[in-house]
Amino acid sequence: MDFTNLALDLEDIEKKYPENPLEYFKDKKLCLFKACLEKYFPGVRWGIQDLLEELNLNISTCMNQTCCSGTFFQRNLITRAQFAAINERNIWELNNQADLILFSCNGCYNSLMRGREFLRYPDVRRKTEEIFNILKQKTNENPENYQILEHPELKFIHDLDFIYLIKEAVLNTLKFDLKDLKVAIHYGCHYLNLSRDKKTPENYVKDKTKLEELVELFGGKPVDYQERESCCGWGASQLVIHPKEALKITYNKLKSAENVGADFILMPCPTCLYTLSKPEYREKMHKWYGDKLDIPSIHLNELIAILRGCEEERCITMRRKTPRIEEIFEIITQ
Amino acid sequence: MDEYSDSDWNWEFYKELVEDVEENKNIIQCINCGKCVGDCPAAKVSNFNSRIIIQKVLQGDESVLKDSDIWHCYLCERCKRVCPKDNINIPLLIINLRNESFKKGYGPKYNDLRKYVEMAERFLMSGVVVEEALGEPLPQERIKELNEICNFARIKYVFKASKTNKKKKKK
Repeated sequence: MDFTNLALDLEDIEKKYPENPLEYFKDKKLCLFKACLEKYFPGVRWGIQDLLEELNLNISTCMNQTCCSGTFFQRNLITRAQFAAINERNIWELNNQADLILFSCNGCYNSLMRGREFLRYPDVRRKTEEIFNILKQKTNENPENYQILEHPELKFIHDLDFIYLIKEAVLNTLKFDLKDLKVAIHYGCHYLNLSRDKKTPENYVKDKTKLEELVELFGGKPVDYQERESCCGWGASQLVIHPKEALKITYNKLKSAENVGADFILMPCPTCLYTLSKPEYREKMHKWYGDKLDIPSIHLNELIAILRGCEEERCITMRRKTPRIEEIFEIITQ
Repeated sequence: MDEYSDSDWNWEFYKELVEDVEENKNIIQCINCGKCVGDCPAAKVSNFNSRIIIQKVLQGDESVLKDSDIWHCYLCERCKRVCPKDNINIPLLIINLRNESFKKGYGPKYNDLRKYVEMAERFLMSGVVVEEALGEPLPQERIKELNEICNFARIKYVFKASKTNKKKKKK
């Protein structure tokens, strides 16, 4: 495999452990990558953490991990070499304590792979090494911390791919089902369009239906809608810079899901969740485009927690004022 | 379809961009099919048109750097997915054009950058972009290290500008 590609080979695991892919993870040290936006949606972290604990897997988080810095790279506030250096430092720290990193956020997943991808280019690599040389001189840390890992043992896996891979084991932990609720699926651009974690072109272009399959398995009905593949509207902070344009995309997405009668919209990324659920954005959409949209938005990890019967605070955190979210919680757990 | 003659092309600008980011060389394969535009979220709500931007670059038309359109890209990578040619990385080209635009002083308006002040502050002072991390805070050594890595980056200037503004307000 290419030196840059740290994505876990899912097909290989399926081949080696056709009966129970969970076996592969039993003797591995797993670490949850801490996405910044989990601060607003702690259920996204706790949902996967509690599941892994129930499955008796060895999990941790990394004290020394920083933000992936994708926001700043995408707005030209740091260079490619600085972005690569930030992510290589994270990879170094994570590699010291784990075999596998799980990502709840499409953006973080993309950033760590993109940082390594840049190191393929000699000029970026040289500049990244220069940054590390300065750090070696200026800090009291172990100089070994500041090097590019050519072949780390570490592998990356997105939470959605992980949950899909071990879906039978997940199903056994659930106390409730989705009671035929209609679910609109949103993958998010940096999952749907990502090529960096793919091994073959077929992987890249083939239909992405993992969330739909999970919804069916959990007793819900995935509903197709016009804007299924569209962006949530965040668009590398476009929502901050050009809110009227960006919220039009958010509005179209939510409206399209409501039009087909979806009970809620499900996604595997906290940044998309932030955009699709923030009350302030819903109010602005109401003001600018005339419709009051009240479709709830839920992250996959939060949904797993609800279905596993975790306490309400642990799953979806009531600090969040997304419309009708309690209603969905009540229906599922009644 | 427009017809082009040799005089329509000027490779100097293209070469500059390739020198800066090698991957940009692949845009020469663009066949102008427009699939990238048809599937682009930004094109639905703004004048952003990746096909025209590539065309301008290949024609050596540096006015693209002054064009506010380049700041409307969502970097969603949809164009990369639907492009029928190999390895044309439009999002990376856009990031590169934005960099050139910054260097030449065209960049986004100060007001747009001001929206990043808080995020930049949090990142350089605590290693996250939200008020505080969920769980344990980041050790001070790692925060110092982040600041060293970001030396001379625009994020530092945004951060410094915020501190200067705060001092002025206090006075």
